Amino acid sequence: MPATIISTRKALRQWHLYLFVVPSLLLIGTFCYYPAISAIIHSFFDWQGSDQMQFLGLDNFKRALADPILRQSFGTMCILVVANFFKMVPAILLAVVIHRLTSDKWQYWYRVLLIVPMVVPGLVSLFIWKFFFDPNLGIINNAFDLLHIKHMLVWLDVNWFHSGTFRMDAPISWLSEPRLIIPSLIFWGFPWVGAVSVFIFLAGLQGIGTEVYEAAELDGASPFQKFTHIELPLIMTQVRLNVILMMIGALQDYGLQFMLLGGNGGAGMKGMVPGLWMFNRAFLAGEFGYACSIGIILFFLILLMTYINNKYIRVDK
Amino acid sequence: MSDNSIHAVAALQAVGSKRGRDWPKHLVIWLILALQLLPLYMMFQISFKDNTEFLTNPWFPLLPWHWHFDNFVYGVKLIGPYIGNTVFIATVSASCTIFLATLAAYFFARYKMPLSNVLWSIFLVLMLLPAIANIVPLFMLLKSMNLLNTLQALIVIAMAGGQVFNTFILRNFIEDLPKDLFEAAEIDGASHFQQIINIVVPMSAPIIGTLFILSFLGQWNDFMMPLIVLRDRELFTLGVGLVYLNGEYVKQWGQIMSAFMVASIPLIIIFLFCMKLFVRGLAAGAVKG
Repeated sequence: MPATIISTRKALRQWHLYLFVVPSLLLIGTFCYYPAISAIIHSFFDWQGSDQMQFLGLDNFKRALADPILRQSFGTMCILVVANFFKMVPAILLAVVIHRLTSDKWQYWYRVLLIVPMVVPGLVSLFIWKFFFDPNLGIINNAFDLLHIKHMLVWLDVNWFHSGTFRMDAPISWLSEPRLIIPSLIFWGFPWVGAVSVFIFLAGLQGIGTEVYEAAELDGASPFQKFTHIELPLIMTQVRLNVILMMIGALQDYGLQFMLLGGNGGAGMKGMVPGLWMFNRAFLAGEFGYACSIGIILFFLILLMTYINNKYIRVDK
Repeated sequence: MSDNSIHAVAALQAVGSKRGRDWPKHLVIWLILALQLLPLYMMFQISFKDNTEFLTNPWFPLLPWHWHFDNFVYGVKLIGPYIGNTVFIATVSASCTIFLATLAAYFFARYKMPLSNVLWSIFLVLMLLPAIANIVPLFMLLKSMNLLNTLQALIVIAMAGGQVFNTFILRNFIEDLPKDLFEAAEIDGASHFQQIINIVVPMSAPIIGTLFILSFLGQWNDFMMPLIVLRDRELFTLGVGLVYLNGEYVKQWGQIMSAFMVASIPLIIIFLFCMKLFVRGLAAGAVKG
């Protein structure tokens, strides 16, 4: 349906049509645009939350560039992003296997089962995982004891790494031992098959017709060759999209770190990520101006990611 | 054997062999899904145990006649009020969000007025702008509006945050509705509001349902905003309630897990009734990317 064009003169008589957008505009003006502009302005000030502010120019940004904790947090974030690349593998594998099923009914039910964990509030699964990591009661340590993985880790540590991280006489404290915090964050959510990413891959695979498979089978392609020659090329767009979404997510999410490790990012601030540092400065230290400037830096990084995404990744749309 | 029959045999073999080799795929899927669903299984079976039972037997469920249902009494008492608050916020904000977004989408889809393009780009720009830097000034704004520690604050923020995405999707949908319907309604003297109620809403019911669920889920899962905004225990939403629960009662795992179960039940019920909407909503979101 093409929109009816209303000329300026007619619009004066039909001004009430504008009333349809006014509520939405007021809302986004007040709660989206105003805070954004306010953040930009306040990032140039020393602002402790009161009405008194002192203009600092670019000092907040200079401080941010030199801030060792912010640098460390970007390092942690980079490690988590790189790990996320490998964490995509189970989702791709699962999507390919589900796609190859001949039965549509099963495909549907597996999708339903994938959504089930999403129905549980995110915080609940987060806290269940926190409970899994508990040194004394957690089932990860329990499973490691049962499967003798702990013996292996201790042996490796004693003979090779000499870090003293794993000891026979103490339970592994996943979230309070500084050296284990990042590995725990990476392991969190194993086997990492979120419904959204699997669905994104499945949407990419949907374009492959059965005749392609039949042709490949007649040519004697092995299941692995089918994956590298048919499926992987077709979902490369989705993989790249997932990578960008993941990097944007890594830049702006800090709920996980906050809930698992607290506002200080755990022992030795090992689990500190940039978003959490912003939150920490604002709400724990009261340095609202500095927090705004960290927010602005993150803002521009995410904007850059979005730009790359729209310019180079979504070429086919 | 003629060429045709060779092809026929090959095709038959292909189908037959595919069916024969499906079980390893099911095995792989079940293995991954079992690991993915392990947290839910643990939550379920621990919620019926007390601590000693959990310590002696962490992995396997108790026999049903040993189940501690009193854990659930505790869970409901503790989480019930929080669920009430959350349902209130999520329902009100999802309804209001979609109502206002429908109005805006109707305007953009049907009319091209002077300034329409400018207004539309005000919406579109927000699609690209990340909201990460907003949280600090937003807190200050709510403080100066005296909205801290109120449920209204969460509702208006959710409404504002949802406008862009929902208007965007609904505009595309309304543009695809046949124009004749609107013209016929106009001849009959229907006002714009009546056209929305009688044409737009019924015709786009599935998409509105999906958007409602997505927006409801967003509120249900949110904990950062409530954590910053709310102070009083009576106002806590599920998210904050769970955070405090996690901080306080570290000892009785059975009770905590039953509280987690209680927190999940409302959504599980909605899910069972609207499974199709969930699957389609997520699949549509995936295609859109």
